[in-house]
Amino acid sequence: MLLKLENVTKRFGGLVAVNKLDLEVEEGEALGIVGPNGSGKTTLYNLISGVYIPDEGKIIFEGKDITNLPPHKRAPLGLARTFQIPRPFGSASVRENVAIGAMFGRAHAGVDEALEMADEYLKIVGIYELRNKEAKLLTPLEKKLMELARALAMKPKLLLLDELLAGMNPKDIDKIIDLIKRVKEEENIAVVSMVEHLMHAITKFAERVVVMHQGRKLLEGPTIEVLNHPEVIEVYLGGRVV
Amino acid sequence: MIAEQLAANIIYGLLLGGVYGLATMGLSLIFGVLRVVNVGHGAFIMVGAFTAFWMFTLYSIPPLASIVVAVIVGLAMGFVVFMTIIRRLLDAPELSTLLATFGIGVFIEELSKFFWGPDYVGYSWDIGGISLPFTELPFTKLYAFGSSIVIAALLYVWFSRTKLGKAIRAVVEDKEGAMVCGINVNMVYALSFAIGIALTVTSGVLVTLFTPVGINVYMGGDYTLKAFVIAVLGGLGSPWGAFYAGFIFGLLENGSYTLLGLIPGVEPFGLTRFVSFTALLLILLLKPTGLLGGE
Amino acid sequence: MFKFKSLIIPFAIYIILIAIGLSQPGLWQPIMYIMFYIGIGVALNNFMGLTGYVDFGYVAFLAMGAYGMGVALGYFTYLGIWAIPLGFVLALIFAALLCTAVGGVALRLRGAYFAIATIGVNEGLRYLIEGAKIWGGSEGIILSGKLRKTFGPEFANYLSTFVADAALIIIIFIASVITVYMINSRVGYALLAVREDEDAAKVMGINVTKYKLIAFFTSATIGAMIGASAWTLKLTYVFPEDVFFIHYTVEAIVIVMLGGAGTLLGPVVGGLIYGALKYYLSVILPGFQLLVFAPLLLVIVVAFPEGVVGFVKKKLQERGIIEYIT
Repeated sequence: MLLKLENVTKRFGGLVAVNKLDLEVEEGEALGIVGPNGSGKTTLYNLISGVYIPDEGKIIFEGKDITNLPPHKRAPLGLARTFQIPRPFGSASVRENVAIGAMFGRAHAGVDEALEMADEYLKIVGIYELRNKEAKLLTPLEKKLMELARALAMKPKLLLLDELLAGMNPKDIDKIIDLIKRVKEEENIAVVSMVEHLMHAITKFAERVVVMHQGRKLLEGPTIEVLNHPEVIEVYLGGRVV
Repeated sequence: MIAEQLAANIIYGLLLGGVYGLATMGLSLIFGVLRVVNVGHGAFIMVGAFTAFWMFTLYSIPPLASIVVAVIVGLAMGFVVFMTIIRRLLDAPELSTLLATFGIGVFIEELSKFFWGPDYVGYSWDIGGISLPFTELPFTKLYAFGSSIVIAALLYVWFSRTKLGKAIRAVVEDKEGAMVCGINVNMVYALSFAIGIALTVTSGVLVTLFTPVGINVYMGGDYTLKAFVIAVLGGLGSPWGAFYAGFIFGLLENGSYTLLGLIPGVEPFGLTRFVSFTALLLILLLKPTGLLGGE
Repeated sequence: MFKFKSLIIPFAIYIILIAIGLSQPGLWQPIMYIMFYIGIGVALNNFMGLTGYVDFGYVAFLAMGAYGMGVALGYFTYLGIWAIPLGFVLALIFAALLCTAVGGVALRLRGAYFAIATIGVNEGLRYLIEGAKIWGGSEGIILSGKLRKTFGPEFANYLSTFVADAALIIIIFIASVITVYMINSRVGYALLAVREDEDAAKVMGINVTKYKLIAFFTSATIGAMIGASAWTLKLTYVFPEDVFFIHYTVEAIVIVMLGGAGTLLGPVVGGLIYGALKYYLSVILPGFQLLVFAPLLLVIVVAFPEGVVGFVKKKLQERGIIEYIT
């Protein structure tokens, strides 16, 4: 077991954003998390990456209790994430952005090594030619790809993708799903991908799916099976998904 | 003897506290609405003090009447500064507005020095006072206190009764929400900045009623620092919190001055300052929303 | 190593300045005046330029250095010449103590709250020294008589001219090497991330507090060394009113912004322009230099936020000359 959440609860004032949630992620697996807006997905990511500390429950990563660990101590263990709205280090170059990931993530590379790794991962995601550009000048799609390269350069064991594919055209989506699948196999990374709407994409990518609703786990299981479950269809305003 | 001195200083501290509160409301209003810390705050207090001085010296206009002039001067200065500088920096990093307001403060001071010289000036407006058993309370200080209360009250009414005042409050509470409701946020910004500066310049007039001979182009620095302490005490960004915190600060300052004076071998003036800055750091660390602030 | 290429231009500037000063005896003092401003620019840049935090109380570190040297020369005069190294050590210790105290409190705060806290620290410390009458209180420490009695008038004079100036020059060279080393090391990359997005930096595995403290500490100790040599040793007195004067902080901030924050060449060029301009203005417009610099700061902030060097750097970005300028 790579990651295990036990009975995790997070409240904001009177609102229970995540409610007694259990979640398990196996090493190297591809998990999809779906749920409508406000179902607690982003809070869940913030709990795993350490931005929030849960009010109740435990988070265990590779057998180690990381519930109260600050974010900067989690990343070196092998956690990496992208953000729904990309957060590049704007005035740094694209290459520097990715190198920072390599330096302080699990890869823990020295400066020169990190810069080389940055080039390598920029080639993988296909924006190598933009490496000397200031990150804030990238297009939204390029920013997302840069964040993906930055997260991969950290050499994570668990990669959390936050609406990575949202707003992309179908061609790009297929390209990026192939890319993630390839890197995931090569480096044995567990990838958790969170989506609000792109059910089609999730069927292509995830082996297993967890459906969240109002901070709770509504359902979990093999992708196609879960997404066609009547309860899920109801949550998503009816209609078959696949 | 000590008890009498303490009693006198407490009353004095309360009266001065009212003026301190008014002198900080502008700073808090500007931070609350625009998220800009006016590091050049004290320079505007200095402008107010000189307004009182020149009106009195040149035209024999009593300081209380100068308040009207100060409000006009303050609104004009606030509007000009906002349109030329602050407006361009609203989306810039915080560093930029800190440096810009600092630069504005220094510029106003240096320009004042250029025209009015570096020396201390003062005036004497003797209108008697009330005799208490332990001290003499001059009317000037009572008037200053009264004016602060009246101005704060008028502002309160304006904020709660008028459309514009309500718009400002809406922006303070929720900027995006206010935009959605059709409030012209830029106009609210300009207006709040101008009102904030006008309040500050006005408080400069009242300050001279306490220290009529301490008028100098560099007098503002001291008030900037005090205003920071008071604003943080009242919860940065809350004008009413600042007004109440002014009283607390005035009391603490004058009370501790008396008490610290009892310790042999120290200089109570310096130590009082030390105490207030230590309080500032403690509040920032323990409860950055201010003693009077909520969550 | 190629990373130290960016030292070439600053070092060339220092050497040319010193050469001018040595060849034209009348220009030595103006040159040292400029070197002082380059020094405080480089020192402050190591914190403000690299982290993006504005420290309005920065001058307190120069003050700690000034007091370190002042205490050594004033209270340990019997050590003779050894009082000077002791002075530098005390300068370091005082600055480190203040750094620990401030770092523990203020560095937890961000943006405006940090700026306000640092002003509080600077003023609080000054009034503690004046109020509790520490080290002579508001009367300060006056050294000229003691130095003349202990070392003889000639050597005392030699101390406050040659030794003080040489010390400042050495400090600037060392500080420049430290700056370039920091920018190109993990520390520099970590701070780059902190400056841009502190929360994202944390998620990337960066211990932001640790790196902010490293920058704070480096900048503080360099400042203290400058205070010890360019103030106490050179002027032979320490007055709290002078060493805590907030205008020095403003000057350092203007220099960093003028030249461009976050590079070494930035504060060097900034210090050079500022020092030379201020010296010239003090001749033609004595007492009103700030009347020129305040609007200058406003223009930079509003229209030119990356400073002179930042602007040039951008222009050169694709031409491969860039590595000389970090």
